Amino acid sequence: MLTFATLRERWPSFAGGFVVLFLGMAMVSMSVLALASAGPRVPDRLAGTPVFVSVPMTARADGDFAPDRPWSPETVTSLRERLGAIPGVAHAVPDRTFYAQPVIGGRPVAGDRGYAWSAAMLAPYRLTAGTAPREGEAALDRSLGLAPGARVSVLTVHGPVTYTVSGTVNGPGVYLNDAEAARISSGVRAIGLVTEPGADIAAVAGAARAAAGATGVVRTGDGRSVLETREHERTRWIGMQVLTAMAVLSAFVSILVAGSTFALGVAQRRREFGLLRAVGATPRQVRRMVYGEALVVGVIATAGGVAAGAALGPVLGDVLITAGFEPPGFAVRLSPPPLAGSFAMGVLVTLAGVWSASRRAARVSPLEALREAEVDDRPMPRVRWLAGAACCLLGLAAAAGAGGSDGSDAFVTSGLVAAMGVIAGLALLSPAVVPPVARLVSWPLARGRGATGMLVRENALTAVRRTAATATPVLVTVGCAVLITGMVQTTAAAFAQVRATTIRADAVIMPDGTPGLTDAVASAAGAQASLFTGLFEPDGGALSAIGATPELLARAGDVQVVSGTLDALRSEDRVLVADWLADKRGLRPGSTLPVSFEDGTSASLTVAGVVREADADVMLSRRLLRAHDPVALADEAYVAGTPAPPGPGARVVDIPTYSAEADAQEDRLVWIATVLLVVVSTAYAGVAIVNTMVMSAAGRVRDLAVLRLSGATGRQVLGAVAAESALVVLLGTGLGLVVALPALLGMRRAFATAMRADVPLVVPWPLILGVIAVCLALAAGAAVLAARPAVRGAARS
Amino acid sequence: MDHEETVRLQMVRRLYGRAGHTVKALDGVTASFHAGTLTAIMGPSGSGKSTLLHCAAGLDRPTDGVVVIDGTDLGSLNENGLTLLRRRRVGFVFQAFNLVSALTAEQNVALPLRLAGRAAPPSLVRAALAEVGLADRAGHRPSSLSGGEQQRVAIARALITRPAVVFADEPTGQLDTRVSHQILGMLRGLVDDHGQTMIMVTHDPVTASYADRVLFLADGRVVDEYPGDKYTGTVTAELVAARMAVLEAAPC
Repeated sequence: MLTFATLRERWPSFAGGFVVLFLGMAMVSMSVLALASAGPRVPDRLAGTPVFVSVPMTARADGDFAPDRPWSPETVTSLRERLGAIPGVAHAVPDRTFYAQPVIGGRPVAGDRGYAWSAAMLAPYRLTAGTAPREGEAALDRSLGLAPGARVSVLTVHGPVTYTVSGTVNGPGVYLNDAEAARISSGVRAIGLVTEPGADIAAVAGAARAAAGATGVVRTGDGRSVLETREHERTRWIGMQVLTAMAVLSAFVSILVAGSTFALGVAQRRREFGLLRAVGATPRQVRRMVYGEALVVGVIATAGGVAAGAALGPVLGDVLITAGFEPPGFAVRLSPPPLAGSFAMGVLVTLAGVWSASRRAARVSPLEALREAEVDDRPMPRVRWLAGAACCLLGLAAAAGAGGSDGSDAFVTSGLVAAMGVIAGLALLSPAVVPPVARLVSWPLARGRGATGMLVRENALTAVRRTAATATPVLVTVGCAVLITGMVQTTAAAFAQVRATTIRADAVIMPDGTPGLTDAVASAAGAQASLFTGLFEPDGGALSAIGATPELLARAGDVQVVSGTLDALRSEDRVLVADWLADKRGLRPGSTLPVSFEDGTSASLTVAGVVREADADVMLSRRLLRAHDPVALADEAYVAGTPAPPGPGARVVDIPTYSAEADAQEDRLVWIATVLLVVVSTAYAGVAIVNTMVMSAAGRVRDLAVLRLSGATGRQVLGAVAAESALVVLLGTGLGLVVALPALLGMRRAFATAMRADVPLVVPWPLILGVIAVCLALAAGAAVLAARPAVRGAARS
Repeated sequence: MDHEETVRLQMVRRLYGRAGHTVKALDGVTASFHAGTLTAIMGPSGSGKSTLLHCAAGLDRPTDGVVVIDGTDLGSLNENGLTLLRRRRVGFVFQAFNLVSALTAEQNVALPLRLAGRAAPPSLVRAALAEVGLADRAGHRPSSLSGGEQQRVAIARALITRPAVVFADEPTGQLDTRVSHQILGMLRGLVDDHGQTMIMVTHDPVTASYADRVLFLADGRVVDEYPGDKYTGTVTAELVAARMAVLEAAPC
């Protein structure tokens, strides 16, 4: 009875908790739904084939997306024979894929995959017009709009090739005649078993298992999802990190904001709790009552939030694909377990948030009902003092540690811990820290002759609780926003700077609308590009490899020779190994390194030297690598002198542009994630600020009425209210900047020392100013709206 | 006469503050309050009259001494036990902020029964409201009731559990003279007609004149009592005012 009556009567004091739980749980349920839907999928183009035999896959660490070792060509042939002989199997089709990007109207199209014609039956995709491709012909996705008989230029790994369109297909990709495809395909890692109509799938799978033995693994049903590309797997992995971070952040902030909302509500109702205690409510009953109120609010808000999350889930799916956090084809599926889990989480978050408030309410003495005025002069709880001091100390200790370091990676971590520690500490100590700072900052206001200045200053100083409750979320948001965005951008700028100083070339050719550079593009512009790819050890483990010439390595500029010379790469069977690999495997010049290549063939390479600061485990001759790896595309090509035009799919850039753009794709994802975090935390800070303003409005009614009666116009009163909230927001901003900027400057110095380059400090000020403006507008707007009824009421009386 | 003693205080002392800066709010008060009587506790501000009420009602714990309500020694009870005793045996009427603003008059009256987990029959609640003349205001919230009506709801709530004793702290402190007379007459009637025991704190001689007995407090001690050794007649407002004038003039 009491619970519902209280909620009905006092809904404004629960509105903040409601909004934050609603938003938080919408975010959580959306993220959890997306996470639950983000499992690996059977690729569409393989979906029509019930049984696959794949290469054995080695266990990989989280975040490792190295490819598996393909079969050798002989193994593929013999496997295919054995599998094709199984009763019920119509065709055993090796899945061959390669780089093929049609150029239409001078621009490469979006799709860049090519397949052997026989692989079209794995989906199965069918001809919608024309015939299957023969040598020199290609079948294309019909959505490209080319009719059979047309001529089309297709970018392949060697360069542009002109094909005659033999037919069109109802699926994506470029399809070449099997023999032609085999020449430019990557190694075969899966063979699809297309069954005859009515064949017993289980029997086929069993027979395939026997036929493949230890050479291959049979995949059926959802088990076929391991056949998705490593690229999609990596995209999903990044998406998982982002979604998890969002869900955890939302849940955590919900607990904090809901907790402070309930705490403020309890503080405002001390007399009511005192009365209840006096007329016979036990502390336990009071506690249960507070829990009950919170639960009703929490359950309704969570249910609404989860429903909103379920409704917005599909939209989020599209957003994630566009942002590059999920592979194409990803869709958020609605399923009960994630929704139920989110709901349970919302209830738990509510209970965790209200825990401290309910304890405080239960401790209210019955005598509080008899107090004359509602004074809130309770000192800050000791736990809060201790926690705040501990955070600040941790931060300062980290800062001291960072100051003493010689500028390595550890510095960045220490700097981050230092700033985060001080931010958290200041937030905890805000009721003690904010008033003196406010006194200092608002000092000029007391000197002026107008009444508004004086009012603004004195109000901000006396309403300690309101001032601290408003300044704290601003402090945390601005501090974290400056710190995180500044760090991301300064780091990117530092790496760009380093690239610019080490590259010895006049210009760089970069891919333009393509995943990489073809050999023809690089050489047409008078350059040659190194190839970055993988080699496989006999146990199936992957090594990263660079195929280059001594000139290319010298131009890239970062490799340092420990033993041997770069000239070793002129002979085809010689390799240079990175120092860490040499240490781990005990390799010395003269040792042999048995490896197999992307095409499945094996070789024994002789170690000719050891290098430091290499970007890969192994460096070998570009010609050797190209001979055994028909798929690797170059990421960039260095040009000495004036470059010739490179042709479609590539563009020439100068060194500064290249430096800034090299990691653009990687940086873009990090940047989107960063902005997302800043936006979400600003939203929560906004809710906290509005909440404080609305909840404290009741306590100001009498003050504002007195102001009106002493001759202030309504405009003057509202002006003072708005100015006071602006002052408090600027105060929080100032504190946030004071903490974050020194940490950033220190980080910049460490980068500069470590990289021996002049690193600029980059802070995305438009974003930060936007955050501050949002906080200002919300604080002033909410304060004025909340004060308006009081000002009007006073005018009437 | 012992069985008629509803509330008894024995050598009750209440100190506030830390060692070195203690304030003696009560300094050895011994007093008995008999069943079916209305007692007024008077004294200048700072005399300890509110503290006496808080200690006698089990809202506050004395530093020394014994408080017995209806045969139960409060010193033997923990916080929960005290709460349960208050709930069953004690009623309260405060100066202001007597009602939970979110609840209707009816719900406020039923509150003590509900907190005790007992049934609150609407007929019983209505009867209690009718007794204070508010049968037609049952569904109203405190914000739409006048000050006098709010106090009457508080009285109905204090009586709903049939308590052994009702404590009132300046029950008419915020009401005008006319409404004060109504409320005090109502309290007097409860004592006379139902034999209710009542103890009220006031600084107003007129309010005190409704009582059967007046205790005067100064500096935490009972300094006088009407009717008592010096005076045995009816308590009048003039008499009380004269005694108070002497107390307030005394040097502190």
